Amino acid sequence: MITRRTLGKGTAAGLAAATIGAPAIAQRRGGEVVIAQQAQPPSLDAATTTAQASRNINLHIYETLFARDEVGNPMPDLAEGVTISSDGLTYTFPLRRGVKFHNGKVMNSADVKASLERYGKVGGSAFIMRPVDTIETPDANTVVVKLKEPYPGFIAGISSPRAPCAIIPAEEAGKEAGKIEIIGTGPFRFVEYRPDSHVKLARFDDYVQNTNFRERDGFGGKKTAHFDGVTIRFMPEAGARTAGLQTGELHVLEALAVPAAQRLKDDRNVRAYEMMPWAFQTLMMNHAQGPTSNLAFRRAVQAALDMEEIMAISTDGLYRLTHGWQHPGTTYFAGDVGKELYNLKDQNRARALLRESGYRNEEVIVLCDSSFSNHKATGEVAAEQLKAIGVNVKLVVVDWPTAFNQRTRREGWHLWTLMLGIEPYEGPYGVVGFFSGHAPVQHERDPGIEAAQTKLTTSLAEADRKQAVADFQRRMYDQAISIKCGDVGIVQATRANVVNYKPYRIPRMWDCWFS
Amino acid sequence: MLRYTLGRLLSAIPVLLVVSLVSFAIIALVPGDMASEMAGPSATAEELQRLRVQLGLDKPILQRMVEWYGALLRGDLGESVLLRRSVTDAILERLPVTLGLTFLALVFAIVLGVLAGMVAAVRPNSWTDQGVMALALVGLSLPDFWLGLVFIWGFAVQLGWLPTGGYVPFGEDPLGWLRSMAMPAGALALTQMGLLARMTRASMLDVLRQDYVRTARAKGLPGWVVVFRHAGANVLVPVITVAGVSVGILLGGAVVIEQVFSLPGVGRLIIGAIQRRDYPVIQGGLLLTATIFVLVNLAVDLLYAAVDPRVRYGR
Repeated sequence: MITRRTLGKGTAAGLAAATIGAPAIAQRRGGEVVIAQQAQPPSLDAATTTAQASRNINLHIYETLFARDEVGNPMPDLAEGVTISSDGLTYTFPLRRGVKFHNGKVMNSADVKASLERYGKVGGSAFIMRPVDTIETPDANTVVVKLKEPYPGFIAGISSPRAPCAIIPAEEAGKEAGKIEIIGTGPFRFVEYRPDSHVKLARFDDYVQNTNFRERDGFGGKKTAHFDGVTIRFMPEAGARTAGLQTGELHVLEALAVPAAQRLKDDRNVRAYEMMPWAFQTLMMNHAQGPTSNLAFRRAVQAALDMEEIMAISTDGLYRLTHGWQHPGTTYFAGDVGKELYNLKDQNRARALLRESGYRNEEVIVLCDSSFSNHKATGEVAAEQLKAIGVNVKLVVVDWPTAFNQRTRREGWHLWTLMLGIEPYEGPYGVVGFFSGHAPVQHERDPGIEAAQTKLTTSLAEADRKQAVADFQRRMYDQAISIKCGDVGIVQATRANVVNYKPYRIPRMWDCWFS
Repeated sequence: MLRYTLGRLLSAIPVLLVVSLVSFAIIALVPGDMASEMAGPSATAEELQRLRVQLGLDKPILQRMVEWYGALLRGDLGESVLLRRSVTDAILERLPVTLGLTFLALVFAIVLGVLAGMVAAVRPNSWTDQGVMALALVGLSLPDFWLGLVFIWGFAVQLGWLPTGGYVPFGEDPLGWLRSMAMPAGALALTQMGLLARMTRASMLDVLRQDYVRTARAKGLPGWVVVFRHAGANVLVPVITVAGVSVGILLGGAVVIEQVFSLPGVGRLIIGAIQRRDYPVIQGGLLLTATIFVLVNLAVDLLYAAVDPRVRYGR
């Protein structure tokens, strides 16, 4: 079931232009496009940071061996492809030839080896290199990665945009985190970074396109830079960003608040693009202390919640009620597994489960933060719904670092509101990993989840890995490990003169141009 | 005067010491740290601990404090963990923005506030007086961040006269600087403008009742000479006192205004550092702000002597 407020003709026009209008419209080169985003990047050393603010910029500058396509599946980018040995231990990557770095040097296997090794030391998701035993370079255009044990998630890991495993010149790879020269192979090169103000990029005229593809595809494909330059401005105030788009000072917004998008639906100069899904809204539960350590109590929470109300209020109406712990349409979506336990909104059943759990009116802390409006609103609505079945709820609203710090402790919280954005986009490894391993978010390991995680990370057959994700999802619902509330969308926006824009995980400034 | 100034500067040292100690203590008490911010929501406890060791957050607070003061004595405010650069450089780079904004707002507030107060005082209880004072009250009552948003809507979106935000360095383009600063400085100044207008009116009414003003009028001096030269000079002392306090308030207000207008100033640096728990930047930023407050207060005291012959410091 999909529920969302319509954003009007601006949206429709925008989507039409993005999908069917492209081939018919003459492409134009030139112009300086200005993007606004809320935060400034903590670093432009792509490998070292998981921040969205960095990703928006870095994925214009850097590229990876494998990238993600439009729906989030891995696809070759700087590699021509990969050959995986039958035992799942050897990955042979033939490299695309003649790819140039922004300093003019041609990329070779030594650069790739040095970049991968550096990632294992300073990478934001360095764990993806843990299974790697050796990296060999039999010639200038081939890289062979040997693993200690089979790890089918390796390609998913090195293709993830979360903290991109960016290929940089070998000369830079020896430098510590944040100290490299900003040099990649992407369609735009770095020009200037003014802290708290902006980053400027310029088109890389020697960019070598990936001609294995016909057009852009996710973070990969054949990318064409039409703009002469891209300026990314950091503007913390949402109202100022919207005003900048209205006046034409800004051409692209990474995110436009839903109410603002509705207000601007009749503005002919602005186009709004919905992106669904963007993230999961979740309620994590702490199994390390009562009453959420009690299965019957957790099931009572699961039975009580009205997801439509939670999602409608926390997202300003841009949401989708889906139960899956993977996005529909992706490889590992597990179908209807667990659906019968999603969005029950059954207060009688919830009260009965509360009685069964032996609940004695203990205080239940719902932890959320005010840094992300979705988190706070989800906490507030869920708290009211739990009060309605007789739970003694204490809502604790703090800032993000405080909430995050608190949730790493075994005490002091019972439910924690969290939006998972990049993890579900990455596929099953990040999502399943969140609830398994030596530090699961719920603080107590669940044997069913652990078994699913082991099966997922060691099975060479895709069918077995899909079954592992289905097992995980079944366990999430049967044991009420944590609660999936629904899918959250976002609105990206451009001026009407930005042609062929297509919303994605970052505002991509390749393959679009000024009319 | 020199001895007095040196004495005041020396007395600032314990003040700054207390400020830094209190800020250190508050930061230590606030839950959460920059490792949480850097690691992201899906980080494991092990990854968090590794980051904390890398960042030196595993050291006891006392040890960190001693190290920080040791570096401070060498003129080093430390290195920002998130910006990966010297805190001194980060602050100095942004200081011109904040000082420029505060200075322009102060000019707006003093010039317009004092003028409005004088106009109101010259015709007490008239429609002019009532109108000016009502406007001053409105200015005093409105929050500056809200005014900022209203200015953006009016002057940028509706009229298209000024940019919605961003900063142009004075050295690159003085007119561009003025355009980028006019709205934020105006929004920031309005509250202080109202305060100064009311203050000036009250002082001016007192002064205008003095015998020497009556004498000046009796001598046949033109009204504007009496008001601006004779009465105005005596209104200056309380105005300077309020202006000195205003600088502090404007510096505080700049923190919010810099967010609204996307200005890369010290306030935005400190807010970002607090949100991300970048301790060295918070410490350095607070110390700098306290230093500016102390220096402004000293400047105000010295100005008294310059405008009022009755005030003399030391001999």
